[in-house]
Amino acid sequence: MILPIIDEYSLGLLIAFSCVLIVFFSMMRETDDLHRLLLTDLVEIVALVIIALVGTDLSEALILPGLVVGIAEILAMAEIYIEKENLVRAPERFLDIEIMHSAPGILSVILLIYGIILSGFTGGAVAGLGVLFYFLCKKSHEKTEIIETVSGYAWVCWVVAFITFMAAPQYWFFAVMLAGTGIFAKVAAKMSIVGTMRGNRDV
Amino acid sequence: MFEFENTAIEGQVLAYIPFGDIVDYITPYTAILLTFALVFTIIALISKPERQVDIAFGGDAYYTKDISNKQMKFQRFMAVACGLATMGGILSGDVFNFALFTAMVGIANIGIVASIKNKHILDNVFEYGILAMIGTLPLFGGSAIILASTGTLSMWILFTSAVCVPLVAKLLLVIGVIAEGMAPVYVAKAEITRAPGAPYILMVHVSSLVLFLRVIEIVISM
Repeated sequence: MILPIIDEYSLGLLIAFSCVLIVFFSMMRETDDLHRLLLTDLVEIVALVIIALVGTDLSEALILPGLVVGIAEILAMAEIYIEKENLVRAPERFLDIEIMHSAPGILSVILLIYGIILSGFTGGAVAGLGVLFYFLCKKSHEKTEIIETVSGYAWVCWVVAFITFMAAPQYWFFAVMLAGTGIFAKVAAKMSIVGTMRGNRDV
Repeated sequence: MFEFENTAIEGQVLAYIPFGDIVDYITPYTAILLTFALVFTIIALISKPERQVDIAFGGDAYYTKDISNKQMKFQRFMAVACGLATMGGILSGDVFNFALFTAMVGIANIGIVASIKNKHILDNVFEYGILAMIGTLPLFGGSAIILASTGTLSMWILFTSAVCVPLVAKLLLVIGVIAEGMAPVYVAKAEITRAPGAPYILMVHVSSLVLFLRVIEIVISM
């Protein structure tokens, strides 16, 4: 019973150590600092492989700390690499890509219409995403009072629907539609506010 | 309940702290190492950083290097973290925990030196860091082979004469500790030791010395 396991283990160990040899050889040949950093990640992976070869629950539990150590080290090294190569550059303008000038109109309309079709919480989220995207792309100094007003009416819809449920249960379908519309408007309004939080002077 | 068969190397256990099946312990040998690490951690915690003096030749001008408050705080934090990791490694009664603490010492050592914004020093820290990262392979590989061949990582069982640990695992463990933060490897890179900021830089040497003594004790006892 034990003998075949040992054989498989030795075979796995042999393969792992041949991987180590290959990685070490490549690290010896490589001169670019960034590539060497990436190659050291390969070494870490092989270390995890050697732990995993044990193949018990304990080895499974030991992989996680090993992985964490590896990631911590590669993060620290990446920071040092950035620092020593002077690669730090403050962005001139936050998130400026071409699609944000051409797409927002049509994408927002599509998302808004699809959100209305879905209605309810999901619909609100989809429509809100559309509005959020629009506000995020267009530099907007919009009046947030409108969003607040919509949000207020949504509350009213909800409360009316709740009272209808309580007082006149036979009109439940009307109440469901009302509540669905209310939560749709509410979620959409909330999400669109996120799109306006871009560090403007009055936010 | 917990005592060693062979007390020739490190003496009998003075005290132990059982965390489940991980039993940390202290012997006369490790007590000395612990005191040493503790004293230097306290020194790093309370002392002010040194200010290197540069002398301009050909005149009588000299100036001291300025160490910013931010840099000092970061170095001090890293030095204390390094000291704590060293003490954890000394007290550990589990081979894998020892390996983890050693890896943490390596990361803290990188941090101590890397806080100095100097191109040459950063270049050398990068080289050293790559060495430390490679060092995790023999370190964890060694402890994994110990686990595979003996079925346990607890030093309480590994130190008994009934258990035989393969030589290759011992060797890998020692190589791992050497690569992770050992003074000979470190001193070869002169730029690192030229970095200003004693007593924090001192912590690099203290931790490596103490951990090396500890790993030798583990390997001989196994």
